[in-house]
Amino acid sequence: MINLLPRNIVRFIVLIAVQLLIFDSIQFSGYINPYIYVLFILLLPFETPKWLLLITAFLLGFIMDIFSNTPGMHTAATVFMAFLRPYVLNLISPRDGYESGTFPRIFYYGVNWFTRYAFILILAHHFVLFYIEIFRFGNFFSTFLRVLLSTVFSLIFIVLSQFFVYRR
Amino acid sequence: MRNLLKFIVRYHFTFLFIILEIVAFILIIQFNTFHKAKFMDFTCALKGGFSRAIMNVKEYLSLREENRKLVEENNKLYNLLKSSYRITSLESFKVNDSVFDRNYVYIDARVVNNSTNKQYNYITLNRGSNHGIEPDMAVLSSDGIVGIVKDVTDNYSSVISLLNRYFKVNAKIKRNGYFGPLAWTGRGHSKAILTDIPHHVEILIGDTIVTSGYSAIFPEDYMIGITSDYRLKGGNYYEITVDLATDFKHLTNVQVVKNLFREEQIQLEKSAEND
Repeated sequence: MINLLPRNIVRFIVLIAVQLLIFDSIQFSGYINPYIYVLFILLLPFETPKWLLLITAFLLGFIMDIFSNTPGMHTAATVFMAFLRPYVLNLISPRDGYESGTFPRIFYYGVNWFTRYAFILILAHHFVLFYIEIFRFGNFFSTFLRVLLSTVFSLIFIVLSQFFVYRR
Repeated sequence: MRNLLKFIVRYHFTFLFIILEIVAFILIIQFNTFHKAKFMDFTCALKGGFSRAIMNVKEYLSLREENRKLVEENNKLYNLLKSSYRITSLESFKVNDSVFDRNYVYIDARVVNNSTNKQYNYITLNRGSNHGIEPDMAVLSSDGIVGIVKDVTDNYSSVISLLNRYFKVNAKIKRNGYFGPLAWTGRGHSKAILTDIPHHVEILIGDTIVTSGYSAIFPEDYMIGITSDYRLKGGNYYEITVDLATDFKHLTNVQVVKNLFREEQIQLEKSAEND
């Protein structure tokens, strides 16, 4: 528990760097824009205070906005996602709840659980982000297709990263 | 206050979420030109719609006042309308004829009633004694003579039309000055008969017939019509058919002529007859 804070700070920086340096410079046909930096919010400990959840999400989004020159858009999406996280966790909680000392990871709760958990939150994040970017509901389905495809690809990268980076 | 604080603490997550989202949206709208323009469009449309809705309601509330104003306005405009006015000023003018020392006053008038299909046709004018019209004044149109004023009320006058069995005017052939009485044929609205022209006078078709000026009613040399036919009647006198210059079928603006020396002339002629 002591090294929780430095580990999260490092993860925060690494995820932003990976997002900006690798995923933002890849152009998948214009429809697919994976945003894997939201993994930071997914991996925050269960015991994180709710207000801290929102604040960190706000900071994460804000920094992403500064670097990608889209003030407010990522912020709105990440804050929304962080707001949903406790409810989603409640919704898909295992029968005997979350054990203390565990983290929301494949290692503790399995691929199935993690995929559902990640899918809902990533979808929420991408949905808000893409519609704010377009800023209108005309061409609703064209935007929705982008949301779905990007969500799927973000999810694939995030789940794969869990196997490669976090062996434990 | 305590309750409010408790409430805020209890729902701090939601409140914080809303605050942060508001901050994010402020950032979006402040710093993204496209989103800012879109937002402005939206708020403008919203504002416009809202104002219009309010205006609609307000319009209904002030409907009574609006109606009153409209009625007032209508009244005002009706009062300004030309048809509600009677022109009382006289646009008359004088002809000073220094050679004959005669003085005519012309008064313009408008035909308000007219007939051509009877044997005794009369014309009504919108001028009366208020405008200086008196009986036995001549009525002219711009084309030719029209008739003689018979009766006068304050604002109207009745005119014996040329198309009337009673009407007689002294006419002459302009070319040679021979004169005689002219009267309507009694048929149609465009023919009159000039009689008493001696048989030695040369008559041509198309001769101009004008007033002789002997009657003290019509000014001299005013157009009546042109000859269209002639024949000898009884061996000594011609009976000349005249096409009238005035079109009695559409007669609108006429002039009433006052001879200022008529009384004098009649007086003189009477005294001569009495001798």
